[in-house]
Amino acid sequence: METRSFTDYLRGLDDTALLTLFALRPDIVSPVPPEFSSLAIRANSPPSLSRAIESLNEWQFQVLEACTALDEPMTERQIISLTDTSAKFVIPHLVEMALLYRSEDGFWLPGSLRDLLGNEPAGLGPSSVAKLSMKKLDEAPEASKKILERLVWGPPRGSVGDIRNPGPAIAWLLKEKFLIPLDQRTVVLPRNVALHLRGGKVHRNPAPNPPTLKGKKIEQKAVDRAAIANIGTVLRWCEEILNFWSEEPPSALRAGGLGVRDLKSTAEHLGVSEECAAFIAELVYLSGLALIDPDGRILPTHTFDLWLTQSPQLRWRNLVSLWLLTSRVSGLVGRAESKSIAALGPELDRVNASSARQVTLGILNGHPGVSPEVETLLSLAKWLAPSRRNSSLQTELVRWTLREAEWLGITGQGVISRYGKRFLEGDDDLEIEKDLPKSIDHILIQGDNTAIAPGRLEIELARILDSIADIESRGGATVYRFSESSIRRGLDHGRTGEEIKDFLKKCSKTPLPQPLDYLITDVARRHGRLRVGNTSAYIRCEDPTLITQILSDKKLEALPFRRIAPEVLVCDLEASEIITSLRAAGYLPAAESGSGIVLTGQRLNRAQSKPRPPRVMGEIESPSEETFLAAVRSLRAGERSSHKQNSLRTPYALGSLPRTSANETLELLHTFIKETRTLSIGYADNNGAVTHRIIDPLSISAGSLIARDHGTGDIQTFRIPRITGVAPL
Amino acid sequence: MSDGPLIVQSDKTLLLDIDHPLSTECRRAIAPFAELERSPEHIHTYRLTSLGLWNARAAGHDAEQVIDTLIKYSRYAVPHSILVDVAETMSRYGRLRLESDPVHGLILLTTDTAVLEEVIRSKKIAPLLGVRIDAQTISVHASQRGHIKQSLLRLGWPAEDFAGYVDGEHHEIELVEDGWKVRPYQVLAAEGFWHGGSGVVVLPCGAGKTIVGAAAMAHAKATTLILVTNTIAARQWREELLLRTTLHDDEIGEYSGSKKEIRPVTIATYQVMTKKKNGLYAHLDLFDTHDWGLIIYDEVHLLPAPIFRFTADIQSRRRLGLTATLVREDGLEGEVFSLIGPKRYDVPWKEIESQGYIAPAECIEVRVTLTEAERIAYATAEPENRYRLCATTATKRKVVEELTKHHANDQVLVIGQYIDQLDELSLVLGVPLIKGDTPIKERERLFNLFRKGEVKCLVVSKVANFSIDLPDATVAIQVSGAFGSRQEEAQRLGRILRPKSDGRTARFYSLVARDTIDQDFAQNRQRFLSEQGYSYRIIDADDVYQGKF
Repeated sequence: METRSFTDYLRGLDDTALLTLFALRPDIVSPVPPEFSSLAIRANSPPSLSRAIESLNEWQFQVLEACTALDEPMTERQIISLTDTSAKFVIPHLVEMALLYRSEDGFWLPGSLRDLLGNEPAGLGPSSVAKLSMKKLDEAPEASKKILERLVWGPPRGSVGDIRNPGPAIAWLLKEKFLIPLDQRTVVLPRNVALHLRGGKVHRNPAPNPPTLKGKKIEQKAVDRAAIANIGTVLRWCEEILNFWSEEPPSALRAGGLGVRDLKSTAEHLGVSEECAAFIAELVYLSGLALIDPDGRILPTHTFDLWLTQSPQLRWRNLVSLWLLTSRVSGLVGRAESKSIAALGPELDRVNASSARQVTLGILNGHPGVSPEVETLLSLAKWLAPSRRNSSLQTELVRWTLREAEWLGITGQGVISRYGKRFLEGDDDLEIEKDLPKSIDHILIQGDNTAIAPGRLEIELARILDSIADIESRGGATVYRFSESSIRRGLDHGRTGEEIKDFLKKCSKTPLPQPLDYLITDVARRHGRLRVGNTSAYIRCEDPTLITQILSDKKLEALPFRRIAPEVLVCDLEASEIITSLRAAGYLPAAESGSGIVLTGQRLNRAQSKPRPPRVMGEIESPSEETFLAAVRSLRAGERSSHKQNSLRTPYALGSLPRTSANETLELLHTFIKETRTLSIGYADNNGAVTHRIIDPLSISAGSLIARDHGTGDIQTFRIPRITGVAPL
Repeated sequence: MSDGPLIVQSDKTLLLDIDHPLSTECRRAIAPFAELERSPEHIHTYRLTSLGLWNARAAGHDAEQVIDTLIKYSRYAVPHSILVDVAETMSRYGRLRLESDPVHGLILLTTDTAVLEEVIRSKKIAPLLGVRIDAQTISVHASQRGHIKQSLLRLGWPAEDFAGYVDGEHHEIELVEDGWKVRPYQVLAAEGFWHGGSGVVVLPCGAGKTIVGAAAMAHAKATTLILVTNTIAARQWREELLLRTTLHDDEIGEYSGSKKEIRPVTIATYQVMTKKKNGLYAHLDLFDTHDWGLIIYDEVHLLPAPIFRFTADIQSRRRLGLTATLVREDGLEGEVFSLIGPKRYDVPWKEIESQGYIAPAECIEVRVTLTEAERIAYATAEPENRYRLCATTATKRKVVEELTKHHANDQVLVIGQYIDQLDELSLVLGVPLIKGDTPIKERERLFNLFRKGEVKCLVVSKVANFSIDLPDATVAIQVSGAFGSRQEEAQRLGRILRPKSDGRTARFYSLVARDTIDQDFAQNRQRFLSEQGYSYRIIDADDVYQGKF
């Protein structure tokens, strides 16, 4: 009955109101319901309602709770009297959200809402129908008053030894009907009595106003300085973690995720805490810069190489937007109570993670220049989003958000930064590029075999330096140390000693110190005297002339031989193939066993599979305005068609099946496609049975009509020859 | 972005660009709390350590000042974590205090009961404590003052020591500045020490650490025990003190292998102090024989382990450590700081050089090649013999001959590790040799001849590594050393750093066998000096033969 009227209420809404409703509760139009009755069912379904309730702030929720304490229909005045005059401003919002709806006789609640909020909203018991004289309450014996005090703020139920033989205090209350027996052992305080005792208000602490945020004022300049440093740092961390994994790919746990030991070594490498390392690991995982490959290794992806070429601003923006949206919570990693939860693992999703971040950043953004005291921020966040399902996690989520926002540089010293603000406001230019210290193109080489880059090095230079020197200290500047092994690494990467020296001379502002010059020359002189390589087959012969002959044999030209010694040829083909070719060319080779030690040279280690960043869970992506408009249109159309179809169910309806000739059909279809009209058509199935369909025609191609069938809600193809008739609705 | 001279790294190092106009100002500002780690040509590296920050607290700087300084001079934004860390670390200092109480003797006090509870529960601390007096106070065994300070430091709750120092027996000592002046940095060093109470002064070799000691004595005006490395050094101290202070000959005693005098100022050698008789350290009593007002540890980087232990027990006496090179390959620098006291004064070598108080020096690494036969021998030698083999190659001998010929008019020291090699060199060059078994008298005679210029060249073993004052030596040739010891290299260079009358540049040759482990050791040895800004020039043995250097 109520659902019915709720449907009528929804049907009666104008387009603007519908659009507002959809924007506030996007879940009820995804997918778009075919008609208003389905919309009403969806809007009245417990999951959707609880989602809507979750989005209420403390005060809105209190008003709603007060509504459930009233009988329907209720008036605005009633609601106000139970709460506060400022409820007046809240009621329209509840109506907009269809958590409360207006009919001729007053306000109603959607049917499932009471169930959802429980039988005892705000700790109020059922209403008593008996006639009560509240004045008598003042005359209550002390003991009875005590009992009332215990029950008044809920829960309203109390247990007694035996209802037939209660103590004098309860007996008095029962006699005066201030308590109602529920069963043998339970009594309940009726709603009207409780409300009277509560002074006519539902809540002990009505919270019409948000708690104020306290905090320290910090100069925006200092904030931005700190934030830009954090931005530079977080980008560097991402780069370093990936380079580190590229060198020593950690193995994922069997359950998925980064093991504790690997997390620890990663944290050590980055010089950050484990919490921070887990956060960065998650960040690069989200962005698809790293993945767990089918062999269970955690590796950077090719996307990382592209990423490196992007501007810092773009990189940062991507990281932050993903972080803001994701349902994964890196703060869960490594907590004492959840030891098994690993970064990059499967257990990190929490539904309200993203909304907690939004709320927190919203608060920060609303208080520029203030570094909030965490406790006041927590209570404000709690007021704005009083998560009823998991409030302890909510508090932690907010704390983690603060921590992570600082790491990301959305805040600096706890205050929203210019960059964070611009990002949240959707500005195109975050001005990060401008404010990040300029990258530099030179280093200073010193006599103690160190080189210092007094700023962020250009990526190309940094890469080359990384290959020929070890990093000793990181931060705003980088300190490199040259050593025999680092130079050797450079030579291993295919550079020559001369190249290294030229490179250093070119990019160093100071002359190349002689000991370093000697060091490079020395290592280069000794490097590569031994040669090691991979090959799949060799040909050896004690007679060098035969080797020469093979090398110059025209018949064997196709084989890529290389002579590495007078008596040895190597070739990258399989030994068996070579033997076949040699035999075909008239030689008499013998296969030889013996496997060499295969050593692969260093390569940038990248996973071969495509990045599959984790899915965002729980949050419905807010659909666009157009989607809502389309939803409204389709609902209205659905409404018409269901009227039609209802009428079709009547026996005489068949007669109204439209009939048009083939030519007419085509012509009409063309016209109506242009006009975007909803049509009624007759359509013959494979057996010749004609059915009536209501459709929105979309296009015609290759003898078929593409149209949306209102009956199924799907886009379908109709063969035009089978359409028996067309008529506009 | 400001354009300061300082870059604050996230690993708590501070890089100071010394070519920047503000660098001197910045150096002064950060010196109280940051430790100088390296000072090569362009960028000096400082490090923020807990110890450094706590010392700064002890010297009256607060976290806010430190943070302001960092922000003021920083070129880039200072990482937030560093600022938090500085504040956090500095706030830990002084929650615990050591005081002497008229009733209970030495007590440990706190303003934060939780901290006291934490430290009491530590296994390391508990045995050092006496009875609990009240919630915030506990008594400490007086003899454990050093130990408890050390252990608390390790726990991260450094105690502020208000228990003070004993004055010691008064003894009048004054500096006599006739014809010479205490140099500004010596004044600063002595004052830094005096205000800090105890600690280590780091000055380059040849920069006059004895004077700092004398100045400290003049501050203390009390009986003083001076611990030095060997007898020769003891006599040098004695002469220096006679020359520079009001002390008379009979006020200074020598406590060494040969003499056991105890006088108001007593100079003892580490060797005699650590000599065992029937399994006991017979001479450690010396610390107790007198009510010393000051104990000076010369060359504190050589402090032997028994003295370490004993020093922990005498925390109520003022202690001054002197050294040029507080690097120990055994990594015990930290122990020195916690037992003697924190670093009170440190200055880059090059800065003293630029002020003209030590001679400029040129370091030259001469690369020699092993002969073919030696190469084979080297390649097949056991690893433990390799260094000896390549360090004593015959090629080096020829190069030494050549070099001494070239420096025929200079005062030359040839320094080496292996006695066979030195014997041979002494024979070939026809010059006297000083080694471990040379009697003290003979050593003194030879050094005197060398100082007078009658002997132009000396071959010395490691006995001459330290404390030997040879003002006119201008050339040192190192043929072999104690593997990769950085401080040995620096100390050997130190032998020739006394400023020369004609302002000449000193030369330090280090002979290194190419492509051998000698070269690797040489690289490690040179690290300390190159971090001090001495850059080595590398030449080939052939260049020496052709006179091109």
